[in-house]
Amino acid sequence: MDDLLLAPALLAAKFDFGTVREYLFRDIVIKAAWRTLYISAYAQIVGVAIGVVVAVPRHLRMPVLSQLASFYVWFFRGTPLLLQILFWFTALPLYAPDDFGWWIFQFKHDWLLLSPFQAALVALAVNEGAYMAEIVRAGIESIESGQMDAAKSLGMRNLQAMRLVILPQAFRVIVPPTGNEFNAMLKNSSLASVIAFNELLFTSRGVYARNYQVLELLVVASFWYLVFTTVWTVIQDEIECRMRPEMRRAGLLTRLRNGLTPPSRLIGGDTGGGR
Amino acid sequence: MVSIQGVYKRFGRLEVLKGVTFDVGRGEVIVILGPSGSGKSTLLRLVGHLDRLDSGRIYVDGRLVGYVEGGGKLRESSDRVASRARADVGMVFQRFNLFPHLTALGNVTCAPVHVRSLSRRIAAERGKELLRMAGLGEKLDAYPSQLSGGQQQRVAIARALAMDPKVMLFDEATSALDPELVGEVLEVMKQLARGGMTMLVVTHEMGFAREVADRVMFMDDGVMVESNTPAEFFDHPQHDRTKSFLSKIL
Repeated sequence: MDDLLLAPALLAAKFDFGTVREYLFRDIVIKAAWRTLYISAYAQIVGVAIGVVVAVPRHLRMPVLSQLASFYVWFFRGTPLLLQILFWFTALPLYAPDDFGWWIFQFKHDWLLLSPFQAALVALAVNEGAYMAEIVRAGIESIESGQMDAAKSLGMRNLQAMRLVILPQAFRVIVPPTGNEFNAMLKNSSLASVIAFNELLFTSRGVYARNYQVLELLVVASFWYLVFTTVWTVIQDEIECRMRPEMRRAGLLTRLRNGLTPPSRLIGGDTGGGR
Repeated sequence: MVSIQGVYKRFGRLEVLKGVTFDVGRGEVIVILGPSGSGKSTLLRLVGHLDRLDSGRIYVDGRLVGYVEGGGKLRESSDRVASRARADVGMVFQRFNLFPHLTALGNVTCAPVHVRSLSRRIAAERGKELLRMAGLGEKLDAYPSQLSGGQQQRVAIARALAMDPKVMLFDEATSALDPELVGEVLEVMKQLARGGMTMLVVTHEMGFAREVADRVMFMDDGVMVESNTPAEFFDHPQHDRTKSFLSKIL
């Protein structure tokens, strides 16, 4: 934008903690942080769904569908996310067909004109879907071929075997990298600021464009990004822990307690019982 | 019950089956012996329609496996038709292949519920009965990882039986087991044979072959070399290849 015009004002700038404190919990910042969280979670969930839908036909080598899926992954992993965001918001509406109607469906020429939120959501989700497709595929491929044999010998159809046998097992392999994807998504959502979606970064820039407190506002934004990624890391650890069979019953509290107990007591006391 | 007619199968350049032909009557127990790489397992996988055959035909209960016959030509059957055919053939694998994310009972009821559309209650009742027959009445809620190899294989047998198959195929069902666990699995298989199940058994257990089989067959290098009653087979083998195989293992 016009950040460069701010340069002269910065020459004698001093870092002002007051400004940080003032904006950290301001209504507009909290709302913007919420939008960042909201669009990231939304796009991630849609992305996971796309990933599964794209990975399965690729794995089963379904004709036509698997080629389409490969093309999709190739294209959206091969072009920059920023470019894709600009495409959905700016380029797509230019090529929308004129008004047309068919039976009960009526299309207006502006039906492809997406709001910044819609465009950002579509861009993030569709991009994420391409990455998730690769992650889901790796998960599916990690399952022994004997599982598919067993499922088929019981009369399951391809998609049934996927749903009932392969995907539930692949889930364990898929979850850790998906957690990392969401971590990246929280930060990539800031790219939506270029199409004026008022998430955290866009809002911070809007504020410092007015008060010239650039570093302070970037610190405010960083604070919220760090809160989100840190909390997510804890949640991710918890999920991964619960997936390990030996930890299945031990929740966060149990493990915190075990963590605080000296090891000597754990060895003798917790499991011994009879002594 | 099973009719195998001139079956050929190759993997790339390797010819694994070179024209295998035989019939299995209803309630008959056939044991197939042979050195590793002779094509025994491949033959079972073809009967269970897990792989496609290159030429020849396999019928199970009068129905062509894996192909649809029309106008003198064979067409590969669709996923839907093929899966229905597979449901009638029970298979037990060397590596058990239990579903690790389901309990013993879950393993047994999964296919009846989702493939045969049985209600969960009825499937569970039948599943419990089958597991009890396999001596696992106490282990209904155990996960495969909590079971011994022998127990896992017995769950796998119960799982296959839950689909009421017309034929049961055993692909070296005891080869991955510790020696002391082999007996319990063979016992369930014997019980099944006595109950009149049609069975095709690939195994290295000569005792089982002698005691349970109606016919013993010897396969080598993709062809069926010899087929006879157990007594004749073991005491008066006809072919040199059979003799040399038996001399190595007996």
